Amino acid sequence: MHDGVAAYVLGVLDEEEHEAFERHLDGCEQCQRELVEFAELPDQLDELKNTASASDDDPPMSMSR
Amino acid sequence: MCPVLGHLDGRFESADAEAEHRIAVLYQEFGGPLLRHVRKSTGNDLQWAEDVVQETLVRAWRNSARLQWEPSLLWAWLLTVARRIVIDGRRRKSVRPHEVEPPEVDMMAVPDGSERALSAIVVADALRSLSEEHREVIEQTYLRDRTISEAAEILGIPPGTVKSRLYYGIRALRELLRDKGVAG
Repeated sequence: MHDGVAAYVLGVLDEEEHEAFERHLDGCEQCQRELVEFAELPDQLDELKNTASASDDDPPMSMSR
Repeated sequence: MCPVLGHLDGRFESADAEAEHRIAVLYQEFGGPLLRHVRKSTGNDLQWAEDVVQETLVRAWRNSARLQWEPSLLWAWLLTVARRIVIDGRRRKSVRPHEVEPPEVDMMAVPDGSERALSAIVVADALRSLSEEHREVIEQTYLRDRTISEAAEILGIPPGTVKSRLYYGIRALRELLRDKGVAG
């Protein structure tokens, strides 16, 4: 269960798993600590997303032009 | 003393009035910082960002036990709740192809473009120095707005493996960025 904390922080768990992890979090100090540690990482990854938005990772947009 | 932790016993005429008051207190405490944060991921769509903040604080109010958490944990949790709401919203929008908005240049939220570009380079470098397995799961999930299950299908590996690689990948990335003085 503990390794779900990364997926939870990134918001990539299915809804059911997301909720299950949140219940786990309430009683798990290790995951609470890691949640705090990882909390800023998605924002840092977002910087990558924003600057790379015109890359070849985005076929629907380039095709529509 | 954080007002969120204060006790309100018997001061309100109805449960609704008490709820309203509590949510107003949450707004006072977290509304501004959350909104600044959320705007970065809504492409400067202020209306959407405000809706996300509202929903985040209502959820926080419903989970009053978590409001007793120490501030850094509570803040981390609020950010995660808000992010999840943004992601769900984006997914709903992308189901309807013509409503996908192109990313906009966001002058308000990003006053210093060069600083931002620089940290994007640092993050890209850090990502590149991860092992292939770790980089791949970060790219195939978060960076492409996919869930663990969707990424597992694309990569042809079990969801549990994606989840665990993501954990070690994120941990490694966090260490790398901390060494470079980017992470807080």
